[in-house]
Amino acid sequence: MPLGWLFLLVLLIAALGYALGRRRALAGAGGNLRAMHSLPGAYGWNVAMAVLIPSLIMLALWTALAPFVLDRMVAPLMAGQEGEISLLMSDVRRVADGLVRLGEDVSSVQAEGLRDRLAEVGVAVGQDVSDATLAAAARYDVLSARSGWALTVLVLAIALGAAAWSLRRITPGLRARNEVETAIQGLLIAAALVAIATTVGIVLALISNTIRFFQVYPASDFFFGATWSPSFGGGSELGILPLVWGTLYISAIALLVAVPLGLLSAVYLSEYASKRVRAWAKPMLEVLAGIPSIVYGLFALLTVGPALLVVFGDGGLGWMQGGTAVITAGLVMGIMLIPFVSSLSDDIINAVPQAMRDGSLGLGATPSETIRQVVLPAALPGIAGAVLLAASRAIGETMIVVLGAGAAARLSLNPFEAMTTITAKIVSQLTGDQDFTSPEALVAFSLGMTLFVVTLCLNILALWIVRRYREQYE
Amino acid sequence: MNDMRLFERAAAVDGVKIRAQGVNVHYGAAHALKDVSVDIGDRLVTAFIGPSGCGKSTFLRCLNRMNDTIPAARVTGTIALDGQDIYDRRVDPVQLRAKVGMVFQKPNPFPKSIYDNVAYGPKIHGLAKNRAELDEIVEKALRRAALWTEAKDRLQSPGTGLSGGQQQRLCIARAIATEPEVLLMDEPCSALDPIATAQVEELIDELKQNYSVVIVTHSMQQAARVSQRTAFFHLGNLVEYGETGQIFTNPSDPRTESYISGRIG
Repeated sequence: MPLGWLFLLVLLIAALGYALGRRRALAGAGGNLRAMHSLPGAYGWNVAMAVLIPSLIMLALWTALAPFVLDRMVAPLMAGQEGEISLLMSDVRRVADGLVRLGEDVSSVQAEGLRDRLAEVGVAVGQDVSDATLAAAARYDVLSARSGWALTVLVLAIALGAAAWSLRRITPGLRARNEVETAIQGLLIAAALVAIATTVGIVLALISNTIRFFQVYPASDFFFGATWSPSFGGGSELGILPLVWGTLYISAIALLVAVPLGLLSAVYLSEYASKRVRAWAKPMLEVLAGIPSIVYGLFALLTVGPALLVVFGDGGLGWMQGGTAVITAGLVMGIMLIPFVSSLSDDIINAVPQAMRDGSLGLGATPSETIRQVVLPAALPGIAGAVLLAASRAIGETMIVVLGAGAAARLSLNPFEAMTTITAKIVSQLTGDQDFTSPEALVAFSLGMTLFVVTLCLNILALWIVRRYREQYE
Repeated sequence: MNDMRLFERAAAVDGVKIRAQGVNVHYGAAHALKDVSVDIGDRLVTAFIGPSGCGKSTFLRCLNRMNDTIPAARVTGTIALDGQDIYDRRVDPVQLRAKVGMVFQKPNPFPKSIYDNVAYGPKIHGLAKNRAELDEIVEKALRRAALWTEAKDRLQSPGTGLSGGQQQRLCIARAIATEPEVLLMDEPCSALDPIATAQVEELIDELKQNYSVVIVTHSMQQAARVSQRTAFFHLGNLVEYGETGQIFTNPSDPRTESYISGRIG
């Protein structure tokens, strides 16, 4: 039975279980709601969950694991080297699948010319179909059909068994609500675990590949090398320092633009702007945060770069050679970060108690004295947190750098030169056909790991500062 | 401090410090204060009493134009400080508030050191020429707020680290450091325990030698203990205003009597 139908059938059993459970609970109490521990619906849900949880887990596990088990059972039929087996096995699966589409029976079909016939129905097979492949495909067919039946029977048995068991348990005194709530709590925990497990998985993947990289390339050369010149022919120099320098330089310029502008607009919005101005100005600023960074990248490449070139290029001051430069990317990234700084700072400034302002105004301070000497110092830890969050955003930014800053890795103080960052180099090391065992490709993972550690530290610092600030006023 | 022989309490009136005439306050459509006229005497403690929402805090905030910070508030009528209308266009509310200081219901020390809290007002008004003068002003204010002995060894520690009663005395020190002529106190003891309350009340009694003090309070005992004049507000009206002794022992309005004896409010 196809999986979709099986799934619907399980849902149907659960729905029936809900109705029956509800009715049975009501009947047991003689229709008197006060004699029951929980509301009738809770008894229904109790049955429905008893059906759904085990049978869906079974369905998921079987579907996930069956292909591996089938492969292991069929693989001995094929003769081949280790790397080859997996290629052959994918052919076997394609042939088995293709024969179903052709409407041919495995036992009667000829191996000769099968590849072309399969191609006609849109199934591409790696090599000509041999007798061994065909035999394996036949075996695969049989086994997967059996697996399908076994799954159907097993899941339906579990669903019906669970329904019967949980229906029998129902008495008016059953603490159905508590059980349902425990199950829901479990569901919530599972949802949270998915996010955590994904994070852990990403970190583990990064770490294992970083270790592989350091096995083929010395760590000291990576961390302290001042040259970045990957060449896929071998003999690359993969020093991270020029990339770190480019990242920090561009981020610093971005923050130099974003922090003053963001902070001043936050002060205006929270302290001076009338309600009407605030009502449209704040959303307008936040629209900036919604613009995809690739659009900012285009803006850098097509507008800001050429504009800067007019002033600083050969026609003007003669400092700038091309439109792509540190200053281009930094300026545009700064504009992108303004809403981050202003929106967070605005919230933080608003969180400073009105009593603080009243106290200062009541002493005869002007509004601007109040802001400079009372409100901003009180909000400072939170603002520092906002700036650090913006900084970690700047360090992780890719698209603006790829389009606006150029691709040359160099250590230079001149902001009008092209430079590049860690993120942009990760992109260039992994795009195109790559051999994932070469140091030139593996270096991307250790670059990613370095970036991850840096932004993680910044985020932790920022959250710590923000939290400390919050404790002060609650 | 005060005994309870209210009739015999001397109320030496030097003159009128603040004269309010026909003051009305609207918050949007709500009419919060209706035609209030009060003369507040110099070097006296004046208490405003009345049930919650009666307009006494609103009126207090009119006296130093703190209502300006609420966009919806509209004040009409005249309030004159030493004969000068404070709602006159030529009067800068910032200068006015330097003369009419305010202490709030909840202690609100700034997130700065104790020293900087007290020095804040003198600094922004340029009252001290040098550091030594500033030190002197801070010490004098803390002494008058009865906080000097507790705070002198920790002047550089944050004002928020003090206890509630100490914080409120710090706020009073902060307010008197700018040498105001009138001190407005909006329920200054409602967040304090009885001991801290007694300290603050003692302080108010001393302050009246130099300032006019106006205090809003929910505690009738407090009003009776610290004030020479009492005004009773009810539903936005000034019901009765007079000598504290007379208000508490022989009120002329039946509503005042009901409130004081606990039947309304």
